[in-house]
Amino acid sequence: MSIKEYLKDRTVFLLINFTLYIIISGILLLININSKVILLTFCIWFFPILVYIMIEYVKQKLLYNELNHIMDHLDKKYLLTEIMKKPENIEGKLLYDVLRRANKDMHEHVNNYRDRENEYREYIETWVHEIKTPIASTRLIIENNQNDITRNIKEEVKKIEEYIEQVLYYSRSNNVSKDYLIKEVSLADLVKRVIKRNSRDFISKGIIIDIEAVEGTVYSDAKWLEFIVNQVIGNATKYNREHDGRVTISTDRNENNIVLTIEDNGIGIIDKDISRVFEKGFTGENGREFGKSTGLGLYLCKKLAEQLGLGLIITSKMGEGTRVKLIFPLGSVNLIH
Amino acid sequence: MSKIVIIEDTEKIREELKNFLIRYGYEAVAPINFENIINDTLKEEPNLILLDINLPIYDGYYICREIRKISDVPIIVVTSRDTEMDELMSMNLGADDFVTKPYNTQILLARIETILRRVQGSNIRDTLIYNDLKLNLSNGSVTYKGKVAELTKNEIKIITCLYKYKGKIVSRDDLMDFMWNADVFVDDNNLSVNVARLRKKLEGLGMQKNIETRRGLGYILP
Repeated sequence: MSIKEYLKDRTVFLLINFTLYIIISGILLLININSKVILLTFCIWFFPILVYIMIEYVKQKLLYNELNHIMDHLDKKYLLTEIMKKPENIEGKLLYDVLRRANKDMHEHVNNYRDRENEYREYIETWVHEIKTPIASTRLIIENNQNDITRNIKEEVKKIEEYIEQVLYYSRSNNVSKDYLIKEVSLADLVKRVIKRNSRDFISKGIIIDIEAVEGTVYSDAKWLEFIVNQVIGNATKYNREHDGRVTISTDRNENNIVLTIEDNGIGIIDKDISRVFEKGFTGENGREFGKSTGLGLYLCKKLAEQLGLGLIITSKMGEGTRVKLIFPLGSVNLIH
Repeated sequence: MSKIVIIEDTEKIREELKNFLIRYGYEAVAPINFENIINDTLKEEPNLILLDINLPIYDGYYICREIRKISDVPIIVVTSRDTEMDELMSMNLGADDFVTKPYNTQILLARIETILRRVQGSNIRDTLIYNDLKLNLSNGSVTYKGKVAELTKNEIKIITCLYKYKGKIVSRDDLMDFMWNADVFVDDNNLSVNVARLRKKLEGLGMQKNIETRRGLGYILP
């Protein structure tokens, strides 16, 4: 707010005063009053007005500067009315009250949605836990009645389980603070666990696995990490060749991070798709061709990795393979000794 | 024979789990009434308890805590709640292990076996005997009629798996699955090579009828 703008706002007020002054000084001139007196009248008239305008200007300028300053440095802008000083002039007070009412209404609105979302998430999580019981008994029934039919059912049940796990992590992906426990995770153990989970796919497709060069420990949430690595390794088997497929997993320790690299020699990702693999619902050429991609897996991985403070990078060459790097920064939450 | 008490309120799981454990050579008891579950369980004098968390009347945490006050019997908590917090809580209450539903049955078996072996002393299940062939798991050797041969890690896993199925055909896939579950990630060729090598070692001990290949079906230790 510059002085010019401020004065412009008061043009009418000043014009009226000037006009009045001119009319009055005209009358005074007509009745032969000394021009000095007229000048004096001008001073007496306009000095207080100008002083008043200046004081008001400074006051308002300070108020708005402060508001702007608070606004610029406020993380949650809608908390402005909680932080600002209550203005003393009537316009300021009115503005303040209106702001507060608007805010309050907005809060109620947001709360309403937050409650709904929470309720929905809680329902999903309860549902996931409930559905696990019939799955567990299905698994046991299969185990107790092994034949070719149940073996096939077992494969399908495994898929159902993976989808259910995805639902759970999707509902959790916006809320790190819940179910989140940082502890020491051995990368070799983590990788082995995931490979075991996918052992059927590796064995039936005859994919060779090489995990010689996996070592090191990181500090992170083991479950979430397992979900990410499982998704990546699952993709590495899913989009691999039927013969001489190979998955190589290794770790590199750099000055300020540890990188877990999962590499396959599968079909690879076409160039125009690679930048979009982390988008929600994006399936790409491979997804269409294989017909079983939901486009959620990698999206979730990226999201969870971000929540965990990890980097996730995919590079690929069509027909030659795909390389996924999971980067654990040193010195942050994922501190490694 | 080790006795396992299953504390689980879902009927299907309870019955199937019981049958499953019986099939693998355990004595399994699954109480249906939960009103005096702690006393009923301890009365059975089990070697191990499989405990669900979500139960009627008392929840698993409470039962676990109460049993710990009286007894040191190993407890494996089995639950569909899978957060790290649940795991931590179970461990803090004195559970020995934690398995989430739906569990891989082989993994559950392995966990049970590990805990029982630890509790009952190491030598019980460290030596496996089948048709004069004695397998010593603690030093990785086989003995046949007084002659001893050292085995590699992979060879031990193969023969352990064949032992488990005692006289039944084990498909290559199942054998691979077993090995992968034991952290040995062999490929197809590797497996053949290992089996051939193992066969040669057993022959060297003078065991003429050892591992047989049944074309299209798998391997068998007759």
